[in-house]
Amino acid sequence: MRTSIWAAGALAFTGAFTMAAQAEETVVWWDFLGGGDGVRMKQMISDFNDAHAGEIKIDATTLEWGVPFYTKVQTSVAVGEAPDIMTYHASRIPLAIEQGVMSEITSDDWAAMGLGQADYAPSLWDAISSDGKTYAVPLDTHPVVLYVNKDILAKVDMLNEDGTPKGMDSREGFTNLLKTLKDSGEVRYPLATTTADGGFIFRTIYSLMGQQDGELMSDGGFLEGDNGEKLANALSVIQEWTVEEYQPAYTDYPAAVALFTTGEAAMMINGVWEVPTMVDLENDGKLFNWTAVELPVIFDHPSTYADSHTFAIPASDDMSPEKRAAVLEVISWISKNSLFWATAGHIPAYGPVTELDEYKEMQPNATYSVLTSNMIFDPKTPLAGVAGPIFDVMSTYFVPTLNGEMDATEAVEEITYELNDM
Amino acid sequence: MIRNTKKEALIALVLIAPFLAVYGLIFVYPTIDMFVLSFHKAPLIGQGEFVGIDNYERLPRDRRFNTALWNTAYFVVLSVIPGTFAALGIALGISRLSGRLQALVLALFFLPYILPVSVVYRIWEWTLNFQFGVGMYVFDAVGLERVPLFKVKTWFMPTVAAITIWWTSGFSILLFLAGLRAIPNEIYEAAALDNSGRWTTFRSVTWPLLWPVTALVLTIQLILQLKIFDQVYLFSQGGRPNDNMVMVYYIFQKAFQNNQGGRAAAIAVVLFLIVIIVSVLNYQLLRLAGRQK
Repeated sequence: MRTSIWAAGALAFTGAFTMAAQAEETVVWWDFLGGGDGVRMKQMISDFNDAHAGEIKIDATTLEWGVPFYTKVQTSVAVGEAPDIMTYHASRIPLAIEQGVMSEITSDDWAAMGLGQADYAPSLWDAISSDGKTYAVPLDTHPVVLYVNKDILAKVDMLNEDGTPKGMDSREGFTNLLKTLKDSGEVRYPLATTTADGGFIFRTIYSLMGQQDGELMSDGGFLEGDNGEKLANALSVIQEWTVEEYQPAYTDYPAAVALFTTGEAAMMINGVWEVPTMVDLENDGKLFNWTAVELPVIFDHPSTYADSHTFAIPASDDMSPEKRAAVLEVISWISKNSLFWATAGHIPAYGPVTELDEYKEMQPNATYSVLTSNMIFDPKTPLAGVAGPIFDVMSTYFVPTLNGEMDATEAVEEITYELNDM
Repeated sequence: MIRNTKKEALIALVLIAPFLAVYGLIFVYPTIDMFVLSFHKAPLIGQGEFVGIDNYERLPRDRRFNTALWNTAYFVVLSVIPGTFAALGIALGISRLSGRLQALVLALFFLPYILPVSVVYRIWEWTLNFQFGVGMYVFDAVGLERVPLFKVKTWFMPTVAAITIWWTSGFSILLFLAGLRAIPNEIYEAAALDNSGRWTTFRSVTWPLLWPVTALVLTIQLILQLKIFDQVYLFSQGGRPNDNMVMVYYIFQKAFQNNQGGRAAAIAVVLFLIVIIVSVLNYQLLRLAGRQK
């Protein structure tokens, strides 16, 4: 009895000693992941905390997505109250660099994390770089994909043997698919598109521009040369889908998802983050057979617009080396364990994870993840990115154009004028 | 008793000092800073370089600034006068009721006023949603073609103005009711003895005696609606924000989305001057109009 008390005392003593020598680092974390992916991130944070008990603890807060988040980051950095780590959209990095809110990720940092350029897709590495420096560590890419109701497509005989839709390789092919679906009378609409949300549909239109090698910004000017024409081409394709009633007019995000999940629309263009919605419905037995594939090739070659959730370290003058090491460990651990993050639909940015057998068995993730080699990102300007001013300009003219109220060429003229006027 | 004016002044100063300090810190200083900032090419936070009146010079050429200016004026026209008269009408109706029924009806009209703008947005966005809003089924029932009210330029401002009137008229109704109760009953009795009809009574008794309140409501509404932002911002989400641009939204876009603090400040200064000039003019005009009666 006496010995055990002594032993306990000694244990407590050594315990206190180690605690003092190696205090637990608390890493203050801000993210904007409020949806289904937020639930998964909380799980990962909790797993991280369990694996690093006594060493590192993440103190996480989820904030409002978009402009509110980025404004808060900017003000908090200015007054020295920034978090230790934050999530950031790759598309917003150029503005962040201009605002001076990000701390550079040095080659020593990359070495400490055990990550490097070879682990990421080249377009993605480019998106986090500026003037040869890197500013963030990509966690994922989240492109738009084409969701498909396999039951309906099978009925009209438009499904290949491997379960992918027919007609994905050309404009004629895809139009034929839409027409077949429309004429069959099996569905109200062949395709559900968010025609009421110009900011959202920017992703699809930019993808179609990429299929023609169009660029939004070149040499500091917007839509120079034949790029305007390419944008007009992209716009008129989607406008045609509305005019031919292949897709509903003035439909916003929730309505588009509802049209697809209730089987009133046979296909839907939406972000991969809706994958969990489908998986959950399927598990409840409330969904048809479905899959998700890369966007159809309407023009010359496959191309899909993507953005990326990254981790960044806010600029600060007083972060201790121990704290920085802890932050790097957080980023490294989450990146290497991002297989679970893939269940949120996102494609893990860290290459080795997508090489795992477990990932290759995940469906439909493995089907659409081939698009990683065809990804294009936002132009590198402080005006680009989610909830950025370019989105607003585009949205203003996309909505009337896609719903057949404005001519595509007229819209492009207006867009070019306004973009160059900012 | 001999008054020690010096001492009194000192005490007064001590008493108002806390207010002055706070007022100076969070209102006067930022306002001066805004004027200074408007002459700089500066980000939202941090130092910039002095560029003289560049930020002002480009405003007349700036197409979105013009949109913002005209939309703000249009919104004021659509909301201030109709809103004031709607409130007056409702107040006149409520004042004829009495007891619990009056309290109930007043509460019903006042209810929207206590809602935060986010809730107002949700209610109306869902009601008038082009695909599934209940309002659209009313359109169908009447045989009208559905209109995507928040996505079409022509309909956006009138719809938002109508919603704003629905939302904010509760407060004006209260002011009008207070004004109506302040009119002595004897005057109405005298008018009744003179065999005055309803319209004459309203025109010659209620309207002139209520005029100070009407002028106040108009002024409050005018200042409030010149600063329109929340509703336009929320209802524009995903739609056509740049066509629906209003002044405060433009300041927000320049400052927070584009990180152009100097240009945002210049627009803010212009709005500041407009609000001052318009409200002073408005109040003076209304006072003159009141005197002539």
